[in-house]
Amino acid sequence: MEEFIGEVWHKYISAKVATGYPEVALELTHLQSQLSTYFHGLGGAPGKVVEAAEARAIDNHRPLLQRIAGSHRRAALCWQDQRSLRLPPVIDYLPEKSLNEALYFWLAALAAKLPKMSHWFLDNQLATLTILKTHPGLKRGYEQLAKAVVEQRPLIEHLPQKLQARELAIQQAILKPGSVESLPLAAGEPLFVPLWLYPAPLFDVANNQAQDDEEQTSSAKKETNKPQETLDTPRKEAQRFDDEKQTDGLLVFKLDALFSWAEQVDMDRSQQEDLDQDLQGAADDLDVITLSKKRKAGSAKVKFDMDLPAPFTDDLYLGPGIKLPEWNYKKRAMLKNFCFLQPMVSDEATPKKLPNNLKKEANALKRQFNLLRPLSALQRRQPFGDEIDLDAWLDIKTQPNATLDGENLYLAKKQNERDMSTLVLADLSMSTDSGVTTQQRVVDVIRDSLVLFSEALSACDDPFALYGFSSIKNKQIRYQLLKNFSETYSDETRGRIMAIEPGFYTRMGAAIRQSVSVLKLQKSKQKLLLIISDGKPNDIDHYEGRYGIEDTRQAILEVKRQGIQPFCITIDSQANDYLPYLFGDQGFALVREIQQLPKLLPKLYLNLTQSI
Amino acid sequence: MSQTNNHQAIHYQAQDRECEIFNAAANNKLPVLLKGPTGCGKTRFVEYMAQQLKRPLFTVACHDDLSATDLVGRHLIGANGTHWQDGPLTRAVREGGICYLDEVVEARKDTTVVIHPLTDHRRLLPIDRTGELVEAHPDFMLVVSYNPGYQNLIKGLKPSTRQRFIALEFDYPQAKLEASIICQETGLDTQRAEQLVLLGEEIRRLKDHDLEEGASTRLLIYAAKLMQSSLSTAEACMAALAQPLSDDRDTIKAIERLVNAHF
Repeated sequence: MEEFIGEVWHKYISAKVATGYPEVALELTHLQSQLSTYFHGLGGAPGKVVEAAEARAIDNHRPLLQRIAGSHRRAALCWQDQRSLRLPPVIDYLPEKSLNEALYFWLAALAAKLPKMSHWFLDNQLATLTILKTHPGLKRGYEQLAKAVVEQRPLIEHLPQKLQARELAIQQAILKPGSVESLPLAAGEPLFVPLWLYPAPLFDVANNQAQDDEEQTSSAKKETNKPQETLDTPRKEAQRFDDEKQTDGLLVFKLDALFSWAEQVDMDRSQQEDLDQDLQGAADDLDVITLSKKRKAGSAKVKFDMDLPAPFTDDLYLGPGIKLPEWNYKKRAMLKNFCFLQPMVSDEATPKKLPNNLKKEANALKRQFNLLRPLSALQRRQPFGDEIDLDAWLDIKTQPNATLDGENLYLAKKQNERDMSTLVLADLSMSTDSGVTTQQRVVDVIRDSLVLFSEALSACDDPFALYGFSSIKNKQIRYQLLKNFSETYSDETRGRIMAIEPGFYTRMGAAIRQSVSVLKLQKSKQKLLLIISDGKPNDIDHYEGRYGIEDTRQAILEVKRQGIQPFCITIDSQANDYLPYLFGDQGFALVREIQQLPKLLPKLYLNLTQSI
Repeated sequence: MSQTNNHQAIHYQAQDRECEIFNAAANNKLPVLLKGPTGCGKTRFVEYMAQQLKRPLFTVACHDDLSATDLVGRHLIGANGTHWQDGPLTRAVREGGICYLDEVVEARKDTTVVIHPLTDHRRLLPIDRTGELVEAHPDFMLVVSYNPGYQNLIKGLKPSTRQRFIALEFDYPQAKLEASIICQETGLDTQRAEQLVLLGEEIRRLKDHDLEEGASTRLLIYAAKLMQSSLSTAEACMAALAQPLSDDRDTIKAIERLVNAHF
């Protein structure tokens, strides 16, 4: 019964204090790609992505009812760091949908002009001024927004006396940016301003307020009745806690903060063993995460994941394995049956739909590749055809002794069909585990590239297969089947691609030889072996440096001998040293910005198919 | 092929010292390679220089079906049997003049056969159909252009061909210069021209991410021209700057936002 009443009360009081206009709410996901383009166009750093911000705690004045309901303690503010621009996941702050939309675009524009912030109150006003100056078209929109935002703010006279001056200053700064130079001092944080950017969570408004305080103490003594209190407002967004002397696993708290014990979770990030606890959930509930300075033998850590996965967790082996030769450049001889290659397929990968973040790109590529279905072109000097080849006719006419026998004098429209099979061989070695950004590893980029490539090629019906490889010495070369030539590209194959993980080392030669024997069986006129790599061939035995390169070169020569065109795409910036030796001058491409790889791969494919 | 020899003065505003370099190359009988993105003024530059040097200009827009025959010439049938007709390259070689091969990478590979002997000290054009070997006129100059970029990664010029040219790199002009070019070409007022250039720069930032190529100076001039007619500024920008650059609806909407931020 108590519980029931509690629930009813909660619903009632929450509804009572709810602000915003949920019926005209606008979600970020609908506008994300537009906002990102807009943000980059206005000068936002090219690598920065637009994503949703998490709600964070704010400590502003709340009316009595909100305090009773315990609501409005958190808000999704707009902020940015090196990696991304965070916008609120939903905006329902203003009463009209168009205004909420305009607010999103305004925030993106402001963020583009304000990559770094030193003073929240001043910088926001200044950036607003600059942007309105350079972009006169935004002026009217901003005025509307500013008016609407101020209307949503509490009336000055409804606020406690001591907060009034500050609120007044903020409202004026919104309406007339640049007109207010300093923010009057008051307790807590000012009510959040949806039009403005906020600093990244670790440095917040309080810091700036502290600066304000200092300025004010020197100039206006009237307002400095209680400066120390505001300065020491307990801010606990993040703290470092030295638990050197504490026993692991004990809850640490200060007695005076007993009621807030939930803000401490003793979580030792340097140890990976306790991953099975639901710490993520706990962390989400916290406003503050304290990082321990204690590092347990962090420097002496040994990574043991070099061991092969246990048989019952490993991927499914296909067949007994294949013995392959390897080239030893010192002996100048092929070592027969030296390598043991194990084809395998991931049996635990679940079918997957195309991930949302790739949809846009995939659709564009599909459209493009659809257009590239066989084109017809005029072929000169054909024995039969629709039109007379005047060039050929003239050539004969101008040579007095020529006869017309056996001459090809027609222009024929021929279906210029691309009869080409492609095998993509992706390097899944350990080095692909390294990060491109904090969120993205090389292998993630390779995975996205493979997915987009598959989407594109399945649109134009060119046969293709995808394999990945990694190795541990010559006895264990893992040749992972992602898609073979005969299966159609489906959710299952996509699931297999999405499940790729970094493996071990790069014994390239053996993987290439196996790919040749797969490609050889294809009946198409042209065959392309596309290798995606992130570095030199290497393994933990002698397969490194010259040995690896020489063996790979031999393998590539075998590829060419079979009439297959090899091409390597690499992201190794030192690749210029050895790739021309392996693939020839025109046989490779160096991708400097790895993030571009997913978009580049299909384009490269087009170029290759047109040049062959 | 087109031969321009009009007497109307051509406007060109130098971005850097390209005119001096081109002059020096012309005086020393050296061939020139121009590289740069679409619509940044390569063709205009060549036209201008041809006028300055008072040499006729033979422009050939290369395409993937352009063969050596199209450049050198062919036999034609006339009333009195067949006769030989010089191609644009042969005419320039015989009469003296600038032969400009636009987007040369698009041409067939066999065109390099005729380009190579013309671009070194020999300055010869062999015409195998007639068995002639034409020595180049002292005023003959070969100029080729191409647009480097990922779309030409494989198709790019062979090093053995590139090595035969003096190369000049072009890019979109600096903001101030570009604004003055727009004013000069269209008579648009300075304030709107500057705003247009700012917008152009913003659209160019989207290159490689959302767009394959940024808005060229040519497109900015088109936009300015549309603005000068009865269209509204926003309409002109959408028609000249957003729609030609992308087919993606989200991208176009974002560009529309950018346009509205300026005008």
